[in-house]
Amino acid sequence: MAYYLGLVQLIGIHTLLGLSAYVLMLTGQLSLGQAGFFAIGAYSAGILTVIFELPVLPALLAGALIAAFFAFLVGFPALRVKGLMLVVATIAFSEFVRLFFFNLSWRVPRGDISVGPDSTNGFREIRYFVANGWSAFEITAFVWIFVILVMALLWWADRSRAGAVLRAVGEDELAAQSVGINLTAVKVAAMTAGGFIAGIGGALYAHTATYIDHLTFTVLLATFAIAYPILGGLSSVFGTLVAVIFIQGVLVEGLRFLGDWRNIVFGLLIIAAMNLKPSGLFDAPTARMLKRAVGLDGRG
Amino acid sequence: MENSTRSGTSIRAMTFASVAAAALAVTLTAFAQPALAETERTVKIAGWGAKSGPLRSFGVNSEAVLTAAVQAINDAGGVKLGDGTMAKMELTYYDSACNADQAISVARKVESQTEALIGIGPTCSGAAAAMYGIFQKTVGDASDTGLQFPILTDTAIRPGLAKKSQWTFRNVPNEIAMYDALFEWLRTQYPDAETIYGGTETDQAHSRLTFALVIVPMAKKHGFEWVGGGIEGVTGKVGEGRENVMEASKSSNWLMADTNFSVQARAFKKSGADMMIISSHPFTTCGMLKEMKRQRINPKVLVGLTSSSSAETLKGCSDAAEGMYIPTGFAPITEAAAQVAALAEANGGSADLHSAAAWENAHIIKQVVEATGVMAKPDTLVADRRKVRDGLEALANVDGLMGAIGRVQDEGESIKPYVFVQADAGSWTVVHDPR
Repeated sequence: MAYYLGLVQLIGIHTLLGLSAYVLMLTGQLSLGQAGFFAIGAYSAGILTVIFELPVLPALLAGALIAAFFAFLVGFPALRVKGLMLVVATIAFSEFVRLFFFNLSWRVPRGDISVGPDSTNGFREIRYFVANGWSAFEITAFVWIFVILVMALLWWADRSRAGAVLRAVGEDELAAQSVGINLTAVKVAAMTAGGFIAGIGGALYAHTATYIDHLTFTVLLATFAIAYPILGGLSSVFGTLVAVIFIQGVLVEGLRFLGDWRNIVFGLLIIAAMNLKPSGLFDAPTARMLKRAVGLDGRG
Repeated sequence: MENSTRSGTSIRAMTFASVAAAALAVTLTAFAQPALAETERTVKIAGWGAKSGPLRSFGVNSEAVLTAAVQAINDAGGVKLGDGTMAKMELTYYDSACNADQAISVARKVESQTEALIGIGPTCSGAAAAMYGIFQKTVGDASDTGLQFPILTDTAIRPGLAKKSQWTFRNVPNEIAMYDALFEWLRTQYPDAETIYGGTETDQAHSRLTFALVIVPMAKKHGFEWVGGGIEGVTGKVGEGRENVMEASKSSNWLMADTNFSVQARAFKKSGADMMIISSHPFTTCGMLKEMKRQRINPKVLVGLTSSSSAETLKGCSDAAEGMYIPTGFAPITEAAAQVAALAEANGGSADLHSAAAWENAHIIKQVVEATGVMAKPDTLVADRRKVRDGLEALANVDGLMGAIGRVQDEGESIKPYVFVQADAGSWTVVHDPR
């Protein structure tokens, strides 16, 4: 059971990572900086529980706020560029963050060992959950409380004026501006919200993995972050969840028994999925079909 | 026209449904619980390592050697259980890449979804450091909900990892002892060599830490001086002055993904050192060696990292590596070691200081299972795993391929015999055997 619960935790954490990119993509911004915000959340929360011995909840919220603060700062210069230029700029930010933690050494004595980030040696002993007797089920529930909260908030936002504003900016900036939408405020807000969500994900990741190092937060992680909403589709927050389940559950874990063939089949299935469902695995027709199936389409 | 569009859409929908159904079937098959009601009892073990990504060869080699070891044990009659029954050993090997998430996921899967008594892996030190963290730190501590499942790692070599948990053990060489002895020996072989210079791949913890904590301090301990100074804080004691080493070598270091080494090689050439050190894995070791050859850099002595004493280095750059010294915990110099090297090759891999440990691990597990009275029944699984862990902790000495392996009981580490090898005409030749 611990294995399935571990997998469910990982799916939850990667869903948060994907949702952090989803928010930005609604405004038409493609960012590879999510790995950087994820890393900031992970290291900040880890330092707070390990070095300052704070409980996990305030540490997690503080980690998310610190990540959001940096996302806010990144949001302004990011306004000056878009498209591929924004991708390159945010990769540079992610690498800057990764290399900062690669060089960060902050060790404090704790009993007969020293704890804290140790540059290349990584940041070990982030064992708040297991050291405090949390069961795998409790850790999973804790992770998913945040996933459900974030998904519910985004789902609600998507149905409110805020969602309409985000999508309007994503569809046509000029048209959005002409009806009085403040592009700067919307884009910076989306970047900050994305940073906050990635920060939560990173903080949860650090505490479930118990160890992080700079190699965890490479451009591959940033690529996964944008791959989830692209593969899942931008029509609904559930698309990101479906894509994470498909990639982490089916492709990474489900195909492990294929051994050497796993990576080849992984690539082929991604290509097949994107060709067969170009608007995302959970596109609008799929959503309508599901609604009809569960009787939520509003028809008799 | 509309009909053909509709027909195209339904074909696409059907194809998508088929792909989705196939993916679901594949997943269900993969996640299906193994049949528990088996009539024949077997000693199940699980291995995992990097069988994909840039370090793929490490996992392939470990699996090849482990498969050969299990075959040899079974051919010799199997493993004697607590009630005298002879049971076969059964291996399942998983790909966990060089990735912390995947190593953790496989550890959880093996612990909760299989009847494996013990795990062997993973490949990378970073993945091992992460994976060890999810294990119970102190045996019997009810307040610690970490995994309770023994691990005997064969490859991840970064110093000091196994003491993270009392459930984690390693059978990897002790680099501190090996480099201490290597530089002591080189001092006698090259009395005229005075100066050293070197570089490392800084984003790989094993390469970097071994360079800064072990190799340079041990060289200094035996009278070799860094060109131009700058490592005065290094006393010869492991760990002291490691920042100075990294500062002094900052213009000659590289990253694992680097493909151009001209600047670093120029720094090596400019140093004019008698002895040059390359602390990196085979891929960048070869890149650096080829660039050194192109720039005609010929030091009196060339020293490499333990992990590069492998077939990959010779396959990649045997010419450029000619003359390089490396201490290693494996060389086919005993009958048993030569046999393992041949079996590994027959299984599509090669035996080196990392993968050969997998052979020893399978035999250590057999020895422990027989000594502790493991029953290998589904209802004794938890007790059997605990017996194997306790048996591993109690081990003082075991037979290895190169001689007796000592154990550091409270740290879960090994003290392995070693030799010094030199790249010589496309093969590793043993030049000194301090056993």
